Amino acid sequence: MNKTQTNSIGFSLSSDRVSVIILLIPALIFCTIFIFIPAFWAIVGSFYSYGMTSLNDWKWVGFDNYIKASQDEFFWIALKNNFIIVFASIVLQVGVGTILAAILDRGIKYGKVIFRTIIFTPMVISSVAVSIIWLLIYDPNFGILNNILIAIGLPTPSMGWLGDPDISIWMIMIVAGWQNTGFMMVLILAGLQGVSKEVYDAAEIDGATGVKAFWYITLPMIRNIIIVAILITTIGAFKVFEFVYVLTQGGPSNATQVLGTYIYLQAFNLLHMGYANALSVVLLVIALILGWFQLKASRRA
Amino acid sequence: MSKFKLANIFAYGFVTLFSIYVLLPIIVMILTTFKTRREIFLEPLGLPGQFNFSSFEKALSIGLGGFIFNSFLVSLFSVILIVIISGMAAYVLARIDFRINRYVYLLIVAGFAIPPAAVLVPLYVTVSNLGLLNSIYGVVMPLTAFGIPFTVILFYAFFLDFPREVEEAATIDGCSKMQIFFRIIIPLSGPAIASAAIFQTVWIWNEFLLALIMLTSDEVKTLPLGLMKLRGEWSSDWPSIMAGLTIAILPVLIVFLIFQKYFVRSLAGLGK
Repeated sequence: MNKTQTNSIGFSLSSDRVSVIILLIPALIFCTIFIFIPAFWAIVGSFYSYGMTSLNDWKWVGFDNYIKASQDEFFWIALKNNFIIVFASIVLQVGVGTILAAILDRGIKYGKVIFRTIIFTPMVISSVAVSIIWLLIYDPNFGILNNILIAIGLPTPSMGWLGDPDISIWMIMIVAGWQNTGFMMVLILAGLQGVSKEVYDAAEIDGATGVKAFWYITLPMIRNIIIVAILITTIGAFKVFEFVYVLTQGGPSNATQVLGTYIYLQAFNLLHMGYANALSVVLLVIALILGWFQLKASRRA
Repeated sequence: MSKFKLANIFAYGFVTLFSIYVLLPIIVMILTTFKTRREIFLEPLGLPGQFNFSSFEKALSIGLGGFIFNSFLVSLFSVILIVIISGMAAYVLARIDFRINRYVYLLIVAGFAIPPAAVLVPLYVTVSNLGLLNSIYGVVMPLTAFGIPFTVILFYAFFLDFPREVEEAATIDGCSKMQIFFRIIIPLSGPAIASAAIFQTVWIWNEFLLALIMLTSDEVKTLPLGLMKLRGEWSSDWPSIMAGLTIAILPVLIVFLIFQKYFVRSLAGLGK
């Protein structure tokens, strides 16, 4: 070690090495014990077979858990649903959030704070509570959705909104959109408010106003924020758990299963801990790839 | 001119419709609370005949107060730990050219990307080995770990913009790094601490998956688990379930409405 090495404030590092280590170490200990070591054991454990009652009795099975996953129809449904949620969330949450942000930024004069407050509110309500409220709304007998449709003479789904495998995942998306769109709106609105007024004045001289100005001038200027918004939404889409767990428990017949709920099902209901680890590793790989993109995006921004 | 008016109608129309979509479930929740089970069945779209508070009493009788108290403790302990620990680490990353800093930052970003479900089984085993199953510390510890990476990133950005002159003066006066951090940096970081604390409180107050696997006995359950219990035990007694939800949501909503400026600022900072 070179004792004359200086830090950014300009004095010897070695005299402060101890306090630097003390400041840094708690964060590393917490993340290591509860994130990195468990990630390591998830990978190791995915090559073994063990159950809840035999947590320390591991049986080596090689790649069997991964072969099982590749042949497991419900694993593929879960993975496909996560991707559906990614794309639907980008369109519904980032897309609609951008439109709302643009309207609140320059589209309307009155009520900006009121609209922003209302639309942002769902963000602070627990997803479990949100899902239970929507269970009542979707209820075939007591729910307002069916009763409104019946009142105006429209047909209602015979298996219920959450009981029909063709529509249930979209019903979950309506709830997810209800909770998260306001967050995207606020994020993008912060970016829009950083665009200076001169830019709009210059655009107006060039004949670009309203939607045209937004599309050709504003949007490219907030490109980085949109990328961050898409990344946050994508990462969130792979973390989805509560909406599915409360609204459908992954049903009907596993049609709305996602990786989070399927890992939970395998680990804590079916007690296939080794198999659950293999599924976790799939999620881990996806998460780390997304994390890598996040790092790239934040460096550019 | 008429084109301008049309755009205006569309703009107001769009935000109004979206606001109705957001408000409707909350209105349904509150109105259902005051209805009787008979009214729910016969007139799902009707207003409650009279203000009926019996469902509130029923919801409280199942121990909702205890669940709220547990959530309060879990949030309080986790958020204090997250803010202090993340602040210390971010300060080192932002201010000192330590050789390993680059790798520490990469680890932090990796930690941010990994969701609890990706380490679910080993995390359960870890908490079990620590003897913390069915203890609120069994969720406080892992939640703290999962909250740290994001908060470090948030503080890191804040400290980079922080003026260095004060620290330089303190260094000349002979303060150590620890003294500088606790006596100068912390007192001047109010806005960053508020943002981080607000964001983490919202997340931890509502966290469900880790609580679900770690806390199985009623005495230690947090609010989201308590709400599932209401739902499980009173499957079609919607007025009582909604009363429970109203009790659970209302305090958070009031806090949000009072501090909404800070909430918005906290989350908006994410994009930067």
